[in-house]
Amino acid sequence: MNATAGGIWQKNTALAWREIDNETVIISPGESVMHELNDTGSLIWRSIDGRRNAEELAALLVDEYDVTMEVALADTLALLEELSSRKLLVSGEAAPGSESR
Amino acid sequence: MNGTMQSVATPLMDRLIARTVRKRVPLSVHFDLTYRCNERCVHCYLDHVDHGELTTKECIEVLEQLASAGTLFLTFSGGEIFLRKDLEELLVAARRLQFDVSLKTNALLVTPDRAEMLRRHGVRRVQISVYSAEAGIHDAITKVPGSLQRSLAAIPLLQERGIQVKLACPLMKQNLLAYRGVMALADQLGVPYVLDLTITPMMDGTHAPLEHRVSVDALFPVLQDSTLQSCSTKIVPEDGLAPAILGSGASSGIESSAYEDLPCSAGHNSCYVSPYGDVYACVQLPMAAGNLREQSFRAIWADAPALERIRNVRESQLPVCSRCEIRSYCERCPGLAWMEGGDLLGAYERACTLAEQKARLAGVADPVSAWRKEFSAEPGVPRGEAVAACKHESAVH
Repeated sequence: MNATAGGIWQKNTALAWREIDNETVIISPGESVMHELNDTGSLIWRSIDGRRNAEELAALLVDEYDVTMEVALADTLALLEELSSRKLLVSGEAAPGSESR
Repeated sequence: MNGTMQSVATPLMDRLIARTVRKRVPLSVHFDLTYRCNERCVHCYLDHVDHGELTTKECIEVLEQLASAGTLFLTFSGGEIFLRKDLEELLVAARRLQFDVSLKTNALLVTPDRAEMLRRHGVRRVQISVYSAEAGIHDAITKVPGSLQRSLAAIPLLQERGIQVKLACPLMKQNLLAYRGVMALADQLGVPYVLDLTITPMMDGTHAPLEHRVSVDALFPVLQDSTLQSCSTKIVPEDGLAPAILGSGASSGIESSAYEDLPCSAGHNSCYVSPYGDVYACVQLPMAAGNLREQSFRAIWADAPALERIRNVRESQLPVCSRCEIRSYCERCPGLAWMEGGDLLGAYERACTLAEQKARLAGVADPVSAWRKEFSAEPGVPRGEAVAACKHESAVH
C-alpha cells in the first residue's frame, strides 16, 4: 500500500518490540524475523499511534533534526511503506479511546 | 537522516547482543512462574512446593519493570506454567508490554482452547520437554503414565495455530541413546530440538538428581555422533528453525560470538527471576542478587554485588582455564563451575573431561586439560564423576 501524506497508520499489535539505546528492535512472531530501526526510524515508530498522519510524523523529524519538511516527508513516507510491506504497520486510525503503543 | 531498517537475522542479533552487553540491558529474561509441577521427573532440581509465589499483581509489576529496563525476550517457565491459574492474565500483560514471549512446558495441560489462548496472546514459541520417542522411557522419567502421548498431542494443536514448537531433551542414564528417536521425531514434526547434558543438584543443594547424570565415558556415543552440531543456536533464526544442537536448555541467555571474552550472557544482558521474586544472573548460577519484593529490578540489576561479581569474569583471565590448550573444545559454564567446584573462576572436572573427550574425537593426540595438568595429581583432589563441591548461597539449584 502506498503511503500518503494524510495517511494514518497503526502498529501491528502482534509484534514484539523494544527501543534500546535509541534503536528499535521489532520481532514478527509468525516469521520469527527481527527488524531494526535506526534513531530517526525509532522516532517515527515511537510516534505512530493511529492518530498522527504521515505529515505530522514528518513534522516531528523536522523538530528534532536539521532537515526540511520536504526531505522529512519523503523519508517518512518511504519508511511507512517499508514498514507496511513487512506487515509491521496496518493502515487506519486507532479506535476512539484506544492507544496504539 | 533516513529512517532505515534491516532484517537479516544473524548480524542484527549479534549487533543487538553487543549493544545490550555494552549498555547492560537485560535483553533476555527467564521467569519461572512456579516450581509446582504435574510431573515428577527423576532428574528435576525443584521441590515442587509453593513457598510463596509472586501474586498476579506482583508478577505484572515485575513484567512492567522488565519492560522498562529493556527486556525484549521473555521466557515463562517452571515447574509447570499451566498450573498458574493466572497464566492468561500474565500473557495479556506480557502482550501489552510488547515482549517476545516463549514458554517452557511439559504440555500435558495444553488443550485446543489453551493453544488458542496462547496464539491470541502472541506467544511465539513453546519448548516442550520430551525425553524419548518411546513412551516407556519418557513416562518412566516423568513418572506420569501416558505423559509422552499427552505432550506429543499438544504439538499439532500449537503448530496449527502458527506457534513454533521446540523439543528439549535432557539426556541422562535412563534415556541417553533415546536422543536419536527424539531427533527423528523432531524431523518428522519439522521442529527444532535441543539435547541437554546438564543435570544439576537440587535447589536445596542435595545431589539426588546427579545419580541420573551420565558419565563422560558413557557420553562417548553421543559426542561421536556427527549429526549433532555443537551449540550454535540463534534465538531468531531467519527460517524459524534452529539447527540441531547439543547444549543447555536451561539457560535464559542467547548464544552468540558477540560475547567475545565473556563466558556467557548471564548478568550482562540476561537474567533469571524465580517464582518468589529472587533475581539471579542465570537459573544455573545460584547466587541471589536480590529480591523483587524488597527492591526494584532496576536497583538489583544496576547495583547487586552478586551480579557485579559475575560481570567481572573474563574468560582470558580465568586462573586455570585461560592456560588450557584444549579450551576451544570446552563449554565451561560459570554456574556449573560454582555449583560443582565452588569457584566461579575455577575449572571443574566434568567440563575438563568433556573437553578432553571432544578434543580426542577431533584428533588431538593425548589431550589434557590445564586443570588435570595442574591439579589432578595432587593428593585429595577428587577424580572420576564425583562432584567436588556444591556451594549454595540461595534457594535456586
